[in-house]
Amino acid sequence: MAGSGTEAMGHVDHVEAYEAPRRDFLKILTLATGAVASGAIAWPFIDALNPTREAEATAKPIINVGGIAENTAIRVEWLGQPIYIRKLTAKQIADNQFVVPDSLPDPASYGDRVKPGFETFVVVVGLNTGIACELEGNNPSDTRGPFDGWLCPCDGSVYDPLGRVRSGPAPKNLAIPRFTFLNDTQIQLG
Amino acid sequence: MATPNVQTKPWLESRLPLSTFWRNHVSGYPAERDQPYLATLPGLILGALIFLAVSGAVLSLFYVAAEGSAFHSIQFIARSVNFGWLIQSFHSTGTTMLFAAVYLLLFRGILGSQYKGSGDLVWFLELTLFILLLLVGWLGFVLADGATGYWSLHNAAMAGARLGGLPGAIAEWIFGGPAGPGTLARMVVFHVVLALLLLVVASTLIIARRTTAPPVQRKPVALHPYYTAQYFTAFVIFALIFAILVFFAPHLGENHLNLAAANPLMVPAVLTPPWYLLPLAAIGSIVPTTLGGVIAVIAGLAVLYALPWLDRSRPGASTGLLYRFLVFILGLDVIALAIASAAPPSFITGILIKLFIVWYFLHFLVLTPLTSSTPVGATPVGATPAGGTESK
Repeated sequence: MAGSGTEAMGHVDHVEAYEAPRRDFLKILTLATGAVASGAIAWPFIDALNPTREAEATAKPIINVGGIAENTAIRVEWLGQPIYIRKLTAKQIADNQFVVPDSLPDPASYGDRVKPGFETFVVVVGLNTGIACELEGNNPSDTRGPFDGWLCPCDGSVYDPLGRVRSGPAPKNLAIPRFTFLNDTQIQLG
Repeated sequence: MATPNVQTKPWLESRLPLSTFWRNHVSGYPAERDQPYLATLPGLILGALIFLAVSGAVLSLFYVAAEGSAFHSIQFIARSVNFGWLIQSFHSTGTTMLFAAVYLLLFRGILGSQYKGSGDLVWFLELTLFILLLLVGWLGFVLADGATGYWSLHNAAMAGARLGGLPGAIAEWIFGGPAGPGTLARMVVFHVVLALLLLVVASTLIIARRTTAPPVQRKPVALHPYYTAQYFTAFVIFALIFAILVFFAPHLGENHLNLAAANPLMVPAVLTPPWYLLPLAAIGSIVPTTLGGVIAVIAGLAVLYALPWLDRSRPGASTGLLYRFLVFILGLDVIALAIASAAPPSFITGILIKLFIVWYFLHFLVLTPLTSSTPVGATPVGATPAGGTESK
């Protein structure tokens, strides 16, 4: 192999001119195959760092909201945080629908707080935005504050049923998690 | 045109002369003709080490270094992590390939008397690589937390705790006393640190081989493309064997009991380490006391370090036919020692193990000085390789 290369040195110009296209083709073929092979070897290492199927399945839970009674909220835990899903009454909607957003501490309209087509459901992270403290008011029997929403037992911040802050040390409305309605009775978080 | 100055050079080239490096060390590097394919072994070893470092880095993301949890974390890797089964197999079979390459490297070193003259530094580096690799391999075996790995760690830590004085203090520093909750976490750190050291030693070995190589005798050939092509072919064959083992024999040379979870109340009947630790483990366990075992292991490695002095032939003199024959016998002896010590203990295997170990020391301490000092069989072999290469 090594010998044949140097023996051809005398006719090097002729050999180069004759074999150039073939050599180029071989070079491209080798590089292309090498690139595909490197990618195939690298892929298992890259994919291993992706979430496992179990993690993916638990990361996006589907929650049944068909059983929620009006004027109550359920609590589910997702990514370590309490998620409140509340079904509004007609009176709560009427009370909050036409409030001028600019009159609120953190302006947000009714449409900003609910999904179009599923306007009776409010989905929020149930943690006070001032002192991190879980809110009260999921059950109709709980103390809910003057707006019939949620009340913080720690600093006394008051939220309306849409999760908008109305008064208190808390500066912001309740956070809304990522979610989609799959149908009338199921929502998927994440 | 004739004299390149700073202005005409590109920005990067004037600061970091990569193309000059490529010309001096790769494309224009004068290399000896007709080098055997097995001369690529150090490069393959470094490649295997890098591959193991990458697969080990991925495994470390999911591995839990705690007794009882470690085994289950590996089950999680094999069953739930995307391609985890493949990466775990890459790591364990990659170790097998690496050890096979290093054993072959040492065998070639002894067979060709490559430790003589200026080759002694390379030989010492190869042995250092081997010893570090044995340590890293044992640590990896222990980290798997299978039934045999658990007891291997337990026994080592217990033996260390029983040692007094300085050896005991060192063992306590390494294991943190008898094997406890934090021991595996320590083993992970040593596994990683020694593995990084292995990369350094392997790189130094490759550089040392180049700098201590004798000057090229005949008209040299360029390293690229002649030897890069050879490296590529050697790599493809190495990778092919590796792939066959990964997919058809992923547990080659492993004690199958190590695939079961460790039970702290039950010692397995056969406590054998992976194949690459077997010969040295057999030498270590021939002496009943702990300190004696440690001394036996050190002696088994010390005779390898002492080879440049045990071989009394002149540097540059060709090895004799008898010497080569004895080296092949030594290779078979080490393989037989491994097989005998992996077999279930019995009266016969006990005798055989002692016999093979005696032959091992006999080879280095008696036969090597004897055969290398007598000229018997030295001349005919010396003429053959040169004549063989000329005819090509």
